Amino acid sequence: MKKIIILIALTFSSGLLFSQNLPNINLKGLDGKTVNIKKISKSKNIKIFAFWATWCVPCINELDAISEVYEDWQDETNVELIAISTDDSRTKKRIRPLVNGKDWSYDILLDDNQDLKRALNITVLPHLLIVKNGKILYRKTSYIPGSEDEIYEIIQKYTN
Amino acid sequence: MKKLLIFMISIQIGLILNAQVLENLTIGLESNTVWYNDDSETGPFFDTSNNDGDKHLRSNNYLKIDYNFLQNFTASVQIESYEPFALLNYSKSYEGTNLGTYSLNYRDSKLNITAGHFYSQFGSGLILRNWEDRQLGINNALQGGKIVYEPADFISLTALYGKQRVGFKTSEGEVFGFNSELDAAALLDFRDSSLDIGLSYVGRKEDTPFVNPTFDELTNLFSGRVDFYQNNFYSNAEYILKGEDAIKQGGQLSNRFITGGNAILFNTGYSKSGLGIDATFRRLENMSFFSERNAAGNVFNESSINYIPGLTKQHDYLLTNIFVYQAQSIVNLDTSQSGEIGGQLDLFYKIKKETLIGGKYGTKIALNASYWSGLKGDYIQDNPDAGTLPSYDVDLFAFGNKYFSDFSIEIRKKWTPNWRSIFYFVNQSYNKKIVEGSGQMITSNIGVIESTHKLGNRKSVRFEIQKLNSDSKKHDWTGGTIEYNLNSKFSIYVNDIYNNGSDSDTEKTHFFNIGGSYTKGATRLGLNYGRQRAGLLCVGGVCRFVAEATGLTANLSMSF
Repeated sequence: MKKIIILIALTFSSGLLFSQNLPNINLKGLDGKTVNIKKISKSKNIKIFAFWATWCVPCINELDAISEVYEDWQDETNVELIAISTDDSRTKKRIRPLVNGKDWSYDILLDDNQDLKRALNITVLPHLLIVKNGKILYRKTSYIPGSEDEIYEIIQKYTN
Repeated sequence: MKKLLIFMISIQIGLILNAQVLENLTIGLESNTVWYNDDSETGPFFDTSNNDGDKHLRSNNYLKIDYNFLQNFTASVQIESYEPFALLNYSKSYEGTNLGTYSLNYRDSKLNITAGHFYSQFGSGLILRNWEDRQLGINNALQGGKIVYEPADFISLTALYGKQRVGFKTSEGEVFGFNSELDAAALLDFRDSSLDIGLSYVGRKEDTPFVNPTFDELTNLFSGRVDFYQNNFYSNAEYILKGEDAIKQGGQLSNRFITGGNAILFNTGYSKSGLGIDATFRRLENMSFFSERNAAGNVFNESSINYIPGLTKQHDYLLTNIFVYQAQSIVNLDTSQSGEIGGQLDLFYKIKKETLIGGKYGTKIALNASYWSGLKGDYIQDNPDAGTLPSYDVDLFAFGNKYFSDFSIEIRKKWTPNWRSIFYFVNQSYNKKIVEGSGQMITSNIGVIESTHKLGNRKSVRFEIQKLNSDSKKHDWTGGTIEYNLNSKFSIYVNDIYNNGSDSDTEKTHFFNIGGSYTKGATRLGLNYGRQRAGLLCVGGVCRFVAEATGLTANLSMSF
């Protein structure tokens, strides 16, 4: 068992040195249009992929908090946040009214049977990916009030 | 264990040899370990499903590795370990360490082919859905093959075949599926609207245990659906027809009770900036569908082919989750049950900033109401002496016995840049006999106040006060939570709920939890000590019963 733990640790630590590519998966947007994740990630501007769900309170808090500073972020770094909902058919119906009710200006993609979430091995929500030129530069899970400032510091670091 | 070691070593060598491998590799690790202790209040630790009181330390572990290669290929494996036994309340079929799922996928712009395990969903999942929920112990992936073909932008065709995963084994029954999705808006060149049409077939073939069966070993389900969206308005409808099949009654499959089923799902809504309204209607009649007929009604939700979530609001607080509704899809003549009918309404509204009620930062309001009842009709018991076969005859749109109702209002208010609150009120009626098998209707009112204060320097504190009053002497609950975030990495919390009522299972017992978490990037470690209340554990509208237990829990999750 010990050996396995050491090996797993080694595997992960060596994994940290490289930035990953995004999987070739199509998701539908709220407007019904299909988007290829690999394609949209290949941009010079930073993209944030924020995995969330309508029933996940910290996710909503995080997206609410970013929403308040989003204009400033965009003005300064051209960053774009894409909120990827992992709601399944039980709560999927709530996405559109919730997003509009909250007046969020993010693009919303639907991962309703969690194909992308599974491919990226995401286990805990909320989960953020910071992406540039098709590579994942940073991953972050969970939200506490104020941690959006930390995200912005990382975005600034990777801009240019 | 040895296999796992060799596997890990070979991955390690692979990684060192080739940096490019790493760019195309993603890894996820999740480990949930509990030390169950004897509890002076609720009794010694005992695991009834494994008949064991000795192995206090239990651990569920999942390692998933995905590797993309040659542009179009992805190989995926998930290794699972339940040692020495799975955590309490998991199915016995999860035992030991083994390969859980594996698959090889090829994908280009037109074709998507998978061999091995795959997760698929047709429409809303009412006809077919494979998914994994580790917390609930559900993994009903199909093992076989799937082909998705998209000859043009506007059409997608899926064919699949497989046996369902049950623990580390596969089901007796085989599942066949065919799905077609047509994007009619793209085909007809609609500019500002979308119109999707879907048609599906799912068949389940399983040998019958009877010498002279009165039903076919193949059960057929058909589904048709339409999804429409224009500007601020959207609407979708789905109908499912389930062919004749034997019904399980009194714990046994009956060769005398053969009937079909159906489901109607209708959803519509309107939303614009600052406002959202959504309404759903659903009627289910005999819609439970398993890869093995005898699995119908099993408490672990194993072998389920379709997805039947309870369409109610998923509440976020401890006391709002004491009485949780679970969708009723089985046929039970003793309780005059053959399904459910009901609906749900949601309203989201943002009161603008700088108005009288909106205040400086605006106020967000969410309303939800749902009502579910049984199907009204005649239920006729089996009576071989009188020559009557078991059957039921229900009306299409008539509401029978009430199963559940729920009304909730949530108000989110920001007072200052560093102080925000949530006010939450729920009124619930819960038919305990139908959902849990015994008891009666309980009506409760629940109030919650939550407040978060940012203290600067990334420190923050969050409080919750909760109260549940009911019309039953058995339930009178009080609860609270305090959470303190030391910085963006460390967080600690304590919560407690206490029943002042006379319910013999929970009275005069503190169900408390104390714990903390450490998060760095995509790695999270959580520690918790506490007492778990017996009851329904629900995730995504699907529930299972969990027994009372006390223990120390460690959760580790990492993604790379």
